Amino acid sequence: MTARRIDADALLDLATEMLRADVLPALPPEQRYAGAMIANALEVARRALAEEVEAAEWALLDSLYEEGEGSTTQLARDIRSGTLPEGKVRHLANDLRTLLIAELRVRNSRFLASRGIGG
Amino acid sequence: MTMAANTRSRTLDPANLDPLQRWFARAVEADRVEITRADLLSGGAVQENWRIDASIHGGPRAGTNALVLRTDAVARLPMSLDRPREFACIKAAHGAGVLVAEPIAECADKAVIGAPFTVQRLLSGTAQGRRITRDPKLGEFGPALAREIGAQLARIHTIRPPHEALAFLPLPEPDAAAAAAVAEMRSALDKATEPRPALEYVLSWLLAHKPAPRPVSLVHGDFRTGNYLVDGGRLTGILDWEFCHWGDPREDLGWFCARCWRFGNDALAAGGIATRADLLDGYNAVSDAPVTENELAFWEILGAARWAAIALLQGQRFLTGGERSLELALTGLMPAEMEFDALEAIAALEAGRPIA
Repeated sequence: MTARRIDADALLDLATEMLRADVLPALPPEQRYAGAMIANALEVARRALAEEVEAAEWALLDSLYEEGEGSTTQLARDIRSGTLPEGKVRHLANDLRTLLIAELRVRNSRFLASRGIGG
Repeated sequence: MTMAANTRSRTLDPANLDPLQRWFARAVEADRVEITRADLLSGGAVQENWRIDASIHGGPRAGTNALVLRTDAVARLPMSLDRPREFACIKAAHGAGVLVAEPIAECADKAVIGAPFTVQRLLSGTAQGRRITRDPKLGEFGPALAREIGAQLARIHTIRPPHEALAFLPLPEPDAAAAAAVAEMRSALDKATEPRPALEYVLSWLLAHKPAPRPVSLVHGDFRTGNYLVDGGRLTGILDWEFCHWGDPREDLGWFCARCWRFGNDALAAGGIATRADLLDGYNAVSDAPVTENELAFWEILGAARWAAIALLQGQRFLTGGERSLELALTGLMPAEMEFDALEAIAALEAGRPIA
């Protein structure tokens, strides 16, 4: 199945693939074991990362829709059509900002630091 | 498995330059052309750029010529022009006195090097944003450079429809340039598999806060630090015209100042090289339609949204377009950054504060 978004999983998958196919064979023999360990570590990290963003997404969606019934696709559609109830729109910008911060903690924490937001 | 990732297929084959040499000799009315150098230049996720040195024997351009050959890439972004159309925009700009590499020849025949391409004179200088914005002498040359850039931008904006050579560019309704830009971004979102609620929010805000329209002009579409050449602190040329379109001229000014194009020099809002006031001084000295700093905020937010939409589409090339490129994948992760800046700017405006 094709992934819907570029997440930590897709990225680490490609990075590990490049490491194994392009970098490891070019390493001198005495460094190959270290290279293989790095590839393994990337695969472990790949499994651990994406969960924080999903938790933030659900927190936002559950504040807008019946618990467990919202989706980011639905939310995007409702924002465009302007059909979110007035009472729920009031904090929307701030809630979206919170979601972006969770996303950026995984995607680019240096960007957040440059905007004065710590880890 | 074999690793195809990050290996962009190339058109021009430096080991087989005969077809190009024969074509170029005809194009510049020469007896013979000998290409002594053909190097793929770095950068250009959307197309290839080759540095070509050509010894031209006979004809009006006889002598040694340093040139740039640009091809269409394997995959283009939907909103980018193909090479012949971009070339028509460059010729129009050259004719309007804009500092741009002289357009020399274009080839639509794919048989010559495998893709359509154009040839322009090579200009001196660097376009690397990080190098320009980290130059220790930036404090000395930055303000004057920004004024010159503003003046060049104003010259681009003197090109207005109707324009026979640019009739292929779709013309937005006279008062709908901002709405057309938003519609284009929504269309990008519709092509993406990843929903971006924050970007939708920003686009809805933009539609609700459209400024009074300006007469439509040619808009460069990617006018920013990184797309102009600087040599010794002086501007030598404007690059990368593939996003040209008819639109609101303030779109270019906003894109230039958008926070995502300051290369870390956040306090220097005009492309990380100078202040907005410096840029507008140069612009307003040439333009017959002066622009104020207050007007820029809307267009800077639109610029952030537009880069988010483009980055999203670049990510789609990795996700669904079969291009296993780490560069595309990393670009595809960037929309959250521009969305964040746009939300911060909107919050500042709504609180009556100036934007960063």
